[in-house]
Amino acid sequence: MSSECRSVQNTFIQFGQELDDQNDRRERLIKASRDITNLSKKVIFLLHRIMNEDAQDVLKHSKYAYERGTEKLREVQEIYATIKAELQGDLFWRHHRPVSPGLQEYVEALSFAHYLGHGTLMTFTQVQCTLSDNNGVPYFPLPKEDYLLGLSDLTGELMRFAISGIARRGGRTRALQVCNFVRGCRSDFDRFTPFVRELRKKQIVTNQSLEKIEDAVYAIVVRSSEYDLPPEMLDDIISRSIPRFASGSAKAKCSRDVGSDDGHEDDY
Amino acid sequence: MDAHDVNFLNELLEQDVELREKIKVQATDLDKKTRIMVGILNKIHSTPSDAIPPLLDSVRPILRGCHDTSAAIAALVPPHQFWRWKDTWSNPLRTAVYSAALVEFLSSGSLISLSQTSEVLGIKEEWADRFSIAVEDYLHGLITLANELSRLAVNAVTLGDYEAPIRISVFVKNLFAGFSMLNLKNDTLRRRFDSLKYDLKKVEEVVYDVSLRKLAEPSSFREHNIWVESSSEGT
Repeated sequence: MSSECRSVQNTFIQFGQELDDQNDRRERLIKASRDITNLSKKVIFLLHRIMNEDAQDVLKHSKYAYERGTEKLREVQEIYATIKAELQGDLFWRHHRPVSPGLQEYVEALSFAHYLGHGTLMTFTQVQCTLSDNNGVPYFPLPKEDYLLGLSDLTGELMRFAISGIARRGGRTRALQVCNFVRGCRSDFDRFTPFVRELRKKQIVTNQSLEKIEDAVYAIVVRSSEYDLPPEMLDDIISRSIPRFASGSAKAKCSRDVGSDDGHEDDY
Repeated sequence: MDAHDVNFLNELLEQDVELREKIKVQATDLDKKTRIMVGILNKIHSTPSDAIPPLLDSVRPILRGCHDTSAAIAALVPPHQFWRWKDTWSNPLRTAVYSAALVEFLSSGSLISLSQTSEVLGIKEEWADRFSIAVEDYLHGLITLANELSRLAVNAVTLGDYEAPIRISVFVKNLFAGFSMLNLKNDTLRRRFDSLKYDLKKVEEVVYDVSLRKLAEPSSFREHNIWVESSSEGT
């Protein structure tokens, strides 16, 4: 083996080590990110489940949901605390791609819980705070893009939340609130779409969700204005028109439903 | 979201856009410089070996000219954000690595190391988290070099240089052996490495033709540890 050959081999041995290290790190981060996505999804389901239970005091109940969700999300924050060494310095941006989906899902779950607890949109700084140690030192810099994309997914969850709970006690007021809130999100996000490429596609979904909520809210308002009905009866009527919003099924079925509703209402 | 938060985010995003534009200007600048170098280096295929050194001398000032671009990019990129912006310049940088590696091979016959490449392009070690040559980009540059050398092996013979294919053969073989030691993940680098064997084959065929016809001095084979027994038996 010539000396030139040996020096080439030595150089490549070094590269091999570095590439292996980075590939292994990448694999570990992909696994962690999957766990985070999974846990966050579970929290979202948990929040929906809790909010679908019957409760006397609606406000207190959503506070309870918020607490349960926040508590569960601490597990996710613990995962971030353990992988922070893998994301130090320039490593975060090096491995941003595998980390990003989990981060967005986490923002979605966290902001959903936050909305139930406070009725507001969680701010960028608040999210970054949950991803910092006790001294307030961030584990890694939260990318604005991931924050916004996570929030964009929140609107879909809110649509589900508003519509599935519309027949419950206080559900109609809540649907109205959610409707206004999502409307606000939509117009805020519109300002950011030129900066974040993926947001454009998500805005379309947000618009669809908003339309579904608006249609549901419309049904409430129309019925309660024309007929002076007690709330329990309104619950009855609206619960019959829910399936088509929740599943987004064909228009033909909708018109039939509306027709039968009208016939029914004429009895009063 | 209240107006304050919207404006806060908007401002941050505006800053990123501005930064991206500025970096892009530098990347385009680097691209122009590397295109000039590649243009000149293309002439190696039609330049007799004794005229190669002056050709390389005309490339060196442009390589030095890359120092300014390197410094400009390093000044723009915020700390720890090297990988965030790297895609902006990785193509021209790979070409710059290739140019530096080709100049080094044609002048000394050896493989330029990663740290040598950084030095040639004026990339300082203390910029590591802002601007440096990633191993992947360096390796991409080397594969381009191997692609080019397989062409040169053919064209050198056309120009009457029968020793060049032998030097190239040894070099590309070493390179191939080096790449074989890496566990590459399934990306473009891996696919380009897979194509390296065709370059190797092409060079070997030229060496075979040259040795079969005894066009190269037997001493040059021995010098480069090339086994020619089988081809000399044939004649």
